[in-house]
Amino acid sequence: MKDVQHLLRVAVIFIAAFAGFLFVRNLLVPESFGKLGHYRADSVDEFAAQPRHYAGEPACKKCHAQQASDKAKSSHKGISCESCHGALLAHAENPKSADNKPRKPKEAEVRAFCGHCHAKSLSRPARFPQIDVTAHNPDAPCSMCHQPHQPK
Amino acid sequence: MDMSIIEMLREALHKVSGFIYPNELELQWSVLIVLYPYITGLVAGAFVLASLERVFDVKAIKPIYRLSLLVALAFLLIAPLPLNVHLGHPERGFEIFLTPHTSSAMAMFGFVYLWYLMVVLLMEVWLDYRKEIVEWSRTETFWPKRLFYKALTLGVDNISPRSLEIDDKIGRILTVVGLPSALLLHGYVGFIFGSIKANPWWSTPLMPVIFIFSAMASGIAGVMLVYMLMCWVRNVKIDMPCLDTIGKFLLTAIIVAFSLEMLESIQTIYEAEEHFDIISLLVEGKLFVSMILIQIIMGSLTPIFLLGLVQMVELSEKARKFFYALSGVLCLIGILAMRWNVVIGGQFFSKSFLGFTTYKMEFAGREGLLSAIVVAILPLLILAALLYLLPPWPKKEEKAASV
Amino acid sequence: MKNFSRKDFLKTAAGAAFLMATRAFSSPVQAAEKFFREPPWKRKKPYYGYAVDTTKCIGCARCVEACKTENDVPREKFYFRTWVERYILRRSGEVNVDSPNGGLDGYLPPADPETVTKSFFVPKLCNHCEHSPCVQVCPVGATFLTEDGVVLVDKKYCIGCRYCIQACPYGSRFFNPVTHTADKCTLCYHRIKKGLKPACVEVCPTGTRMFGDLSDPKSAITKFYETENVMVLKPHMGTGAKVVYKGLDKEVR
Repeated sequence: MKDVQHLLRVAVIFIAAFAGFLFVRNLLVPESFGKLGHYRADSVDEFAAQPRHYAGEPACKKCHAQQASDKAKSSHKGISCESCHGALLAHAENPKSADNKPRKPKEAEVRAFCGHCHAKSLSRPARFPQIDVTAHNPDAPCSMCHQPHQPK
Repeated sequence: MDMSIIEMLREALHKVSGFIYPNELELQWSVLIVLYPYITGLVAGAFVLASLERVFDVKAIKPIYRLSLLVALAFLLIAPLPLNVHLGHPERGFEIFLTPHTSSAMAMFGFVYLWYLMVVLLMEVWLDYRKEIVEWSRTETFWPKRLFYKALTLGVDNISPRSLEIDDKIGRILTVVGLPSALLLHGYVGFIFGSIKANPWWSTPLMPVIFIFSAMASGIAGVMLVYMLMCWVRNVKIDMPCLDTIGKFLLTAIIVAFSLEMLESIQTIYEAEEHFDIISLLVEGKLFVSMILIQIIMGSLTPIFLLGLVQMVELSEKARKFFYALSGVLCLIGILAMRWNVVIGGQFFSKSFLGFTTYKMEFAGREGLLSAIVVAILPLLILAALLYLLPPWPKKEEKAASV
Repeated sequence: MKNFSRKDFLKTAAGAAFLMATRAFSSPVQAAEKFFREPPWKRKKPYYGYAVDTTKCIGCARCVEACKTENDVPREKFYFRTWVERYILRRSGEVNVDSPNGGLDGYLPPADPETVTKSFFVPKLCNHCEHSPCVQVCPVGATFLTEDGVVLVDKKYCIGCRYCIQACPYGSRFFNPVTHTADKCTLCYHRIKKGLKPACVEVCPTGTRMFGDLSDPKSAITKFYETENVMVLKPHMGTGAKVVYKGLDKEVR
């Protein structure tokens, strides 16, 4: 007994340390950890609660019904409003505010804006409508002949 | 947002060759992660050397048994430091112990490390030194040191022959258990890399084995150099049979490690899978100096030649000592280069196998060269403290030195 | 004494080997069970899926822009939750791939256009793998697969070890310099839980990107999965990638 006393003390230290570890662990592991899997379940709710910047197409129709119905009959029907006009949730929630106005290219910027998708490129699918921007009416803004919501 | 890193990445963008996935510009694991397998490798290697005496009864290396344990302990204490410093959230590092993900090698490593540190190494050192610790707690004149010894006795000053016999038996069991534990410790590090199927430079079942054997080589070389250095510092004659035996084990370890690495390379070249082209470019280009020149020629082939020469030709004691020292240094550098080639090399090429990014190691900063140097030096300082507090030299040598 | 310690060692080693052998035997049995299981979206509602029709992509990168805006992704050129790659295949067999600022900077016309045989765009994003290697390697359980099929990263729990970034074969993950945690596409979880589309799908002008509920047998995405000839990226890795691609060329990495 006397000859193993030092080993018993070591054993006591180990047991005490392990117990201490379990106690600390209980305090520190987040509440929701392990409920759904090996992760903090609250994290899923935190993700769901993240603020948005894009409104989604249905939000625009309420006020801009004309543009929406024009677009729905045209070849641009598959394009969401925010695709060209930028993130609009702030505008949809506060339409009168001057801060969150939808993006609209100025006349001088129109060719670059439309060309962003429609400039001819050999990487683009052949059946996609594309033109040589330098050859096709180079001085005129596209909107002179092509209405953006009903391009035809 | 750390603007120095952003600036560095903006510059790196111009140095990309070929195509990389846009997120691959930044290297995720820096020089600190190169040091970490190097340090755990030294631990494993030093411990294996100690086990050779205890378990396999290689009596010739008894003079360095305790020294090996202390070297292993000094490096083991520092091993988690580069890991924790490199984390994005070092303050959350303990989560690995609270909620370890059992499918993650990194998580399980935390427990293997704790097990090895507390149950194997600390216990073994304590049991081996307990008799002296009790004696020093009675005779030491410098009071802080005496207090330290007293604390280590855990308040028990029984050093009867029976208690020492029990200590020896438990110590022997610990060494037997410790040997696979040491291999597990470093094998796990190899597995952390080897199990990443996304990276073909890392992904191979041989990785844990390669890591273990190169670790043994570095650990043996490390202990050998510390032994030679300490003999010179203490003005004590080197035990040549001991040194010669260490030299033999070092040669064996380097040969096995090198053979495994070459086997891996030969297989890669032969199978020539999809990633073969980019890996050839990697080895011929970015890794030519660090791999072909430093790791293979300087760090493996040259020590094999020198140590092999010692085995085959009768050389004077002075010549042997020189060859051992030179081989040890080259081996240590070569294995550090090997860790660099694995960790950094594996991140140079894109997972698209179409291009390369670059790595600019900053000097200052959490993950810079300065940080790495500090991490590399700390174990040596700890070793110095351990050598002071728990001198591993046999009694009669101490008396001879003081005369 | 000498024989005792060697026998001791051999006994310990044999015991360990026995334990490992029994595990090795039971794992293939478990794996065989998994092999015949039906996909998770047959059992859970909802279960999100995603598809890409590369034959329609025009490389406008509106998706990249929208994702960065919606999710506050750092605007630097090395952090992307989604990006668009352009492939240029030449007669000589040479393949040129580029993704300037993920596609946001536009693509320069290729040199020597006469030598180009095929060229196309391929949008990339996190594949929300069923057997994702990134979830497997996370040491603390900060990244996980939700019950509805989305792989997320808990930025309050992630320790920033970057192991998951190393483990992803697709380059989908990055280290967020602001949160100092791993980051990646979340399938706009905050949007899809409210019945909206992910931002990238919302703004895609050509219908290249598709999203929906795989557990609904009548949804467009289910029909796409079941009727089109689709492929996943790096199928040999066995990641169980859920993003399927139509029209994936053999050169796509």
